[in-house]
Amino acid sequence: MALSGIQIYKLLPQTNCKECGFPTCLAFAMKLAAKQVELSACPYVSDESKKQLAESAAPPIRLITLKAGSEVKAGNEVVMFRHEKTFYNKPGLFIRVKASDPDLAKKVAAADAYKVNYVGMDFSIDGFAVEADGDLTSAVKTIRTVTKRPLILMTKDATLLDSALSLLAGESALIYAAESSDYEPLADLAKKHKAALAVKADSLDALADLTQKIQAKGVEDMVLDSAAATLSASLTRNTQLRKLALKNVRSLGYPIIAFPCDAKDEGIAAAQAIAKYAGFVVLSEFKPELLYPLFVLRENIYTDPQKPIQVQPGIYEINAPNPESPVLVTTNFSITYFSVANEVEGSGLPAWLVVTDAEGMSVLTAWAAGKFDAERIAKAIKGFDLASKVGKKQIVLPGHVAVLSGELEEELPGWDIRVGPREAVDLPAFMKQALN
Amino acid sequence: MPIEIPKDKWTGSIRAVTIGGTSAEGGTRAKSVTVGGQTSMPYLHYEALTPNKPVIAIEIKSHKPDDWSPLLAEAWGEAMAEPAQWAKKAEEAGADIIVLALTLADSPEDAVRVVKSVLSGTGLPLIVWGPGQAEKDNELLVPVSEATKGEKIVLGICEDKNYRTIVATAMANGHLVQSRTPMDVNLSKQLSILISDMGMPKDRILMDPTTGALGYGIEYGYSVMERLRLAALQGDAMTQSPMIVTPGFEAWKTKEAKVGEGVPEGWGDWKARAINWETLTAIALIESGADVLVLRHPESVKRVKDAIEELTIPA
Amino acid sequence: MQHTVSFTHNDKQTPVEVSTGVLLSDAAHLAGIDIGQPCGGQGRCGRCAVQVREGDVRRRSTLRLSPDDVEQGYALACQTVVEGDVAIYVPPQEKIERRLTTDRVVAEVTVPADYEYLQDQTVRRIHLELTPPSMDDQTDDWSRLQTAFRLQHKMERVACSVNLLREMGEVLREGDWQVTAIVETSRLTDEKTCKLINLQPNHVDEYSPLWGCAIDIGTTTVSVWLVDLMSGQVRAQVAEYNGQIARGEDVISRIMYASKNGGGEELRQRVLDTINELLETACKRVKARPEEVVKATIAGNSTMIHLFLGIPASNIRLSPFITAVNHPPLMTAREVGLKIHPEASVDCLPGVASYVGADITAGVLSSGLDNAENVTLFLDVGTNGETVLGNRDWLVTCACSAGPAFEGAGVVNGMRATTGAIEEVWINSETFEPTYRVIGGGKPKGICGSGLISLLSEAFITGIIDKAGNVNLMASSSRVREGAHGGEYVVAWGAESESGEDIVISRVDVDNLLRAKAAIYAGFTVLADTVGVPLETTDKVLIGGSFGKYINVEKAVQIGLLPDMDWSRFEFLGNTAVKGAYYALLDWRKRERITEIAKRMTYIELSADNSFYEAFTSALFLPHTDMSKFPSVAEALEGKVNK
Repeated sequence: MALSGIQIYKLLPQTNCKECGFPTCLAFAMKLAAKQVELSACPYVSDESKKQLAESAAPPIRLITLKAGSEVKAGNEVVMFRHEKTFYNKPGLFIRVKASDPDLAKKVAAADAYKVNYVGMDFSIDGFAVEADGDLTSAVKTIRTVTKRPLILMTKDATLLDSALSLLAGESALIYAAESSDYEPLADLAKKHKAALAVKADSLDALADLTQKIQAKGVEDMVLDSAAATLSASLTRNTQLRKLALKNVRSLGYPIIAFPCDAKDEGIAAAQAIAKYAGFVVLSEFKPELLYPLFVLRENIYTDPQKPIQVQPGIYEINAPNPESPVLVTTNFSITYFSVANEVEGSGLPAWLVVTDAEGMSVLTAWAAGKFDAERIAKAIKGFDLASKVGKKQIVLPGHVAVLSGELEEELPGWDIRVGPREAVDLPAFMKQALN
Repeated sequence: MPIEIPKDKWTGSIRAVTIGGTSAEGGTRAKSVTVGGQTSMPYLHYEALTPNKPVIAIEIKSHKPDDWSPLLAEAWGEAMAEPAQWAKKAEEAGADIIVLALTLADSPEDAVRVVKSVLSGTGLPLIVWGPGQAEKDNELLVPVSEATKGEKIVLGICEDKNYRTIVATAMANGHLVQSRTPMDVNLSKQLSILISDMGMPKDRILMDPTTGALGYGIEYGYSVMERLRLAALQGDAMTQSPMIVTPGFEAWKTKEAKVGEGVPEGWGDWKARAINWETLTAIALIESGADVLVLRHPESVKRVKDAIEELTIPA
Repeated sequence: MQHTVSFTHNDKQTPVEVSTGVLLSDAAHLAGIDIGQPCGGQGRCGRCAVQVREGDVRRRSTLRLSPDDVEQGYALACQTVVEGDVAIYVPPQEKIERRLTTDRVVAEVTVPADYEYLQDQTVRRIHLELTPPSMDDQTDDWSRLQTAFRLQHKMERVACSVNLLREMGEVLREGDWQVTAIVETSRLTDEKTCKLINLQPNHVDEYSPLWGCAIDIGTTTVSVWLVDLMSGQVRAQVAEYNGQIARGEDVISRIMYASKNGGGEELRQRVLDTINELLETACKRVKARPEEVVKATIAGNSTMIHLFLGIPASNIRLSPFITAVNHPPLMTAREVGLKIHPEASVDCLPGVASYVGADITAGVLSSGLDNAENVTLFLDVGTNGETVLGNRDWLVTCACSAGPAFEGAGVVNGMRATTGAIEEVWINSETFEPTYRVIGGGKPKGICGSGLISLLSEAFITGIIDKAGNVNLMASSSRVREGAHGGEYVVAWGAESESGEDIVISRVDVDNLLRAKAAIYAGFTVLADTVGVPLETTDKVLIGGSFGKYINVEKAVQIGLLPDMDWSRFEFLGNTAVKGAYYALLDWRKRERITEIAKRMTYIELSADNSFYEAFTSALFLPHTDMSKFPSVAEALEGKVNK
C-alpha cells in the first residue's frame, strides 16, 4: 500500500532542517508520496523508517528492458486506469519476420527506416520478432546488418537460441516462449545470455506456477503470454493479470506480451492490447496505414492525464471563415477552447479562432501566470501567419484580459484590437452587434 | 496455490435504455434497441455478463453533405441524396440505429418531412440531431418531436445552454435526449442532474461525453468515460446513463481520414488508414464503455460489429 | 376530533376550534393572528416560533430551535400540529431579529486574560527625572538623558533618531528636566537596549492610554484596531475597502498594475491613504491624535505587504513564485508613510510564501490552530481563499483565488458589512417574496457577504435559481426578471431601498459567488486529499472572514461553501488576521510564535496537477455535483426538514 504524505511524515525526523531541499519535512514527505524525490535526500532518516518506506515503494510490475542499439521498456505500472495516475511505459511495437523469408533484409530495412511524425514527435517501430522457421543464426546475422533494434527470438530450440543469442552479446533480447513442458533449458539460456524470457500458459494458475519455477532457476526478467485467442479472452486475462499484479501477487508481476498478428482483425486486437495492459505488441507485418494510427493511439493512451487538458495551438476555422471574418483569440486549455468554439459554431457566424499555447491554462489563469500576454498573442498571430489569411485584420481579445489591448496594439501595428465579452456565452451577441 | 481472481463488487449498474417505439408503444419501428444494463466494467465476463451489446448507429444527413470525405461519398453513392434511401442502405450495412442529422438549410416543415420519410424508409430506431445552433435546433426539433410521438426518438444534442426546450419537448412526446458535455466528468453529471431535475425520467437520457478522435483528444474522452462508468458502478445515479459517442463524425473530420493527397508518406494507404482511424477510435471507446457508436463508413461498421461479437462472447 | 386552541397574543386571548392535525400556523390564521413566515411555512427559517403553555402538540420539526427553546415549550407554528386542547403564547412579532441555532456570531474580542503590560509589551512609557545641568555639570543633554535611562531604568543602550535629538533640548527644558519617554525594547534579545520613540515634557498620568494599532491589509478590506497598550483593550475597530480596488480586484491584477510605470507607487499611496484615513477615524472615536500611536503591527497577504512597502511584487506572480521578502525587518512609520508617530515601529508580520502571507500566519495564531490537539481546518473566506489544515504537530496550507464576492465586492449590489447592508434573507417558497434583515435596521443599501450567502441559499432552495445558478425565468413572480446581465431576482424594490433603486442579485453575481465558494471548497478538499486526511475526521472547522458579524452555517453548507458536517463543529472567528496582529501587538512572545508558525507551515501549490481544477468544477454547482457529499441539503431539497 502506498503511504500518504502524513503517514510518511511520521516516519521522518520532523526537524524541518531543510537539508533535503524542501522547506519542511512534510513538504518532503509529500514529494516522497508522489514519488517525485528519493528518500536518500534526507540525511537523518532512521534505518527503521527506511525499511518501512522501501516496502511501500516496490513496483508491483517488474520493469523489463529489451535493449540493443535502442531500448524498449515495459512494466513499472501502478494503476488499472490511466486517470488514477498515468500509464508510464508505452508498449513496444514489434514487427514479426520469418527467418526463412528470402526478402528478410529488405523487409527489415524498410520497417527499420520507417519514421513518422505526430505533433512534433517522431515514432518508429521498437523491434523485430524473429520466427525461427529457418536458420535463426543466419537470420539474426542478416537482421543485425540492417537494424540495431531489440529482438524477440521465437523458438524453443535451445541449440538454435544459444548460437543466436551468442551473436547478440551485450544486448537484452526476449526469448519466446517457455511453457511448463520445456522451460528448463530456456531458463538456463536466459540466465546465461542475460535475456528476458517470455512465459506462456493458458491459465493464470499455470502462469504463476511457471514464473516461480523459472525464478527459482535464477531468472528475474520475465514477460507473460496468457495465450488468449479472442478479444474477450485477452481483455479478461490482461485485466486479471494487471489487477493481481497491483495486489502484489509477485508471481504475476511482469509485463504482458500480445500477438495481434494472430488475431482475426489485427488493428482492433492491437488497439485493445495498447489500451488494455500489454507491454509488448507483435504485429504481422510492416503496414504504415496501421502503424501510424497505433502509434498515435499509444501516445494518446500513455499521455499523462494529470497535465491539464490541452488542445493543439493553431488556427481553427469555424463556420467556413473568409478574409473578412474576425479573428478570435483564446488559450489552449481544452474547456476554454470548447466553450468558445461551441458558442461560435452554434451561432453560425464565421470566425478564425486562434488558440495560443498557454500551457493548458484558462484565460485568467494563463494571464495571471504570464502565459497569455500581448507578446505571446502577437507571436501566435505572426507565427500562424494570420495576416495571409485575413484582409480585415480584426482581433477580438477575451474580456478578462482587456488590459492587454494597449500592448497588443503596439505589438501588432495595423491590426484592429477589440475587447470581447468575458464569457464565451456572450460571444455570438457581441459578434453580431459590436463587430461589422 | 491456485490464484484467486479478484472481482469487483459493484453496487451500481448502468440503466437499461430503450430506443425506438414499436407498434405496441404507439410507434412504427420494426423493433426497438436496448442498451445499458451492465453491472461491471466493459466485457469482464468473469464478473458479469454483458446484458446488452453496444450498438452501431450510422449517421446520415437530411441533405447530401458537400464536405464529407470522397471515401464516404464513394461508399454510399447516390443514396446520399435521398435520406430514406440512405437509411435503407445503412440498415443493410448493419446499422442498429439511424442517426439523422438535420441541417441549417432545413425549415421546420422540411425537418418533419425528412424525418417521416426516413421513418418510412427503415424500421430501425432513430436519433435526430439538430444542426447544432441552439435556436435552430429548438425550431426544428420541437415540430419533429411533436410529429413523431410514440417513436421514442433520441433528440439531440442537448447542451448546458439549450437543454430546456429539447428536454421539455422530449418529455411531452415520449422521446429520449442525448445529453452532451465537453469531456468532463463533473459537467456530464451536472447536465444529467439538470435534465432529471426537470422531471425527465432517467431511463430516457443518453450521456454523450464528447468524443475526441484518435490523435485529437481521444484520451480525454476515454478517461472521462472510464471514470463515468466507474462512478456509475459505485452507485452514482447521475452517471448511470448509457453513453453515446461519435467516432464517425470526429474521425472523418481529421486530416488523416479525410484527405489522401499532400499528406506524409508515413501515413500509408489512404483508404485503409482512414478506416483504421474510424475503427480504432471506435474500439478504444468500446473498451472504455461506449454503448452507442455513431459511425460513417460501412467497412468500419462491419469491423466494429465483428469486434463487438468477439468481445461479448464470454471467454 | 375538535380541540380548542387558545392563543395569547399582544395581551389578548383568542380561542379557536380546530380538528386534530391542524397546523398551529393555520389555527393562528383562523384566530386572526398574523404569524410571520418568511420561508413560506416550510420550517426552514425558524421565525414562527410560539410557546406551547398547555396541552398536546406534535412537532414535526424542531430543527430551528435550540434544546433550551424546546425545553421552554417553543414550537414552530408551521411545523407543529394540534393533538388536544392547547394554550399557545404568540410572542410579539419582531422582524427577524432572533438568532438561530445555526448562526455563528463572531467571537467577541477580549483582552488575553494573562496580559501584563510590563511583562508582555515591547513598548514602555517611563518617567525620567534628570539632574539639571549647571556650570559645574556640563554634560550634554543626550548623555544626561542616557544616564537617567541607565540609572533609573537599567537601560544601558538607547538609540535615538536625529529628529528626536532636534527636539530634545526644548522638551527637557520645557518640563524642567522631568520627562516622559516612550521606548521600545526587543524583549527577545536584550532588555537593556532600547529605541527612543517619543519624549515629552513632564510626567504623564501613568494610567492614561498608550496607543498602538493592529492592521490587516486585505486585498479587498483593510481593518484597523486601535488598542490601548496599557490595558490591552481594543478601543476602536474600523474597516474600509482597500483603495487599491479601483486598480484591480485580485492580487494578480494589482501586481500587474504595480509593474507598470508608476503603478507601484500609486498602489502604495492608495493603500496608505486607506490606512491613514482609517487611523484618523479610529483615533477620532477615542479622542486621540494619530501621532499618539506609537506601535503598529501589520498583517496582510504577501502581495499586499509588498505593495504597502513599495517593493516590486512581480516575482510573486511568475513561476517559481518567489517573494522579495517573507519577513520584513522592523521599520519606522516615517519610512513607510504611516501617519502615526513618525518614530513608531512598524512590524510587518512574517508570511510563508507568495500566496500564503502574514494574514494567514496571524490567523493561525489567533485561531489557536497551532496548538490544536486534533486535526482542525481553518478557512479564511476572503479574496485569496487561504486554507490551513493541521494541528500542533503539522500544518499545511494552500491558497486559491476566490475573488472578493464574499466581502461584497464584485457583486452589483454588494457592500461591506456595515449599516444598511442586508445580512440575512428568507424567501417564501410559494410567493418568492423575501424577508430580510438590515444591519442597523434602516433602509437597505446593498447586500453584505453573509446576506449573499443567505440569499444564494434561499434562491436555490426555493428554485429561483437551478443547481447551475441559472435564474429560472419561468418562476411566477415579478421579482424574477430579465436584467442587463441575464436573469435577476429583486431582493428589495426601489421604494424600500436607501437609494431608490432596486436591489437585485443577477446571474453574473450568482456566477461570482459560485466561483468564490467553489474555489474555497475545492481548496480545502484538495488540501485534505493531498495529505491524506479525510475531511470528516477534522475536529473543528474554524472560519475567518469579513463578510459580517455572523454567518449562518446552515446556509453556507446549503450553497456548498462549507462541508456538510455537524453544525456544532463550526466556529466563526471573524477577521482572524487583524486579531492575530492584535495579539502580536500586545505580546512579544506571541509575536515570536508567529515566526515559528511561518517556519512550520508547509505550503501546497494547488496548480501542481489538475486535481484542483477537477474539484473546482465539481464544486461549481449547488451545492455540489456530488450530492452524496451534502446529505442535509438533499434532505432540505426534498422538503424533509426533520433531522
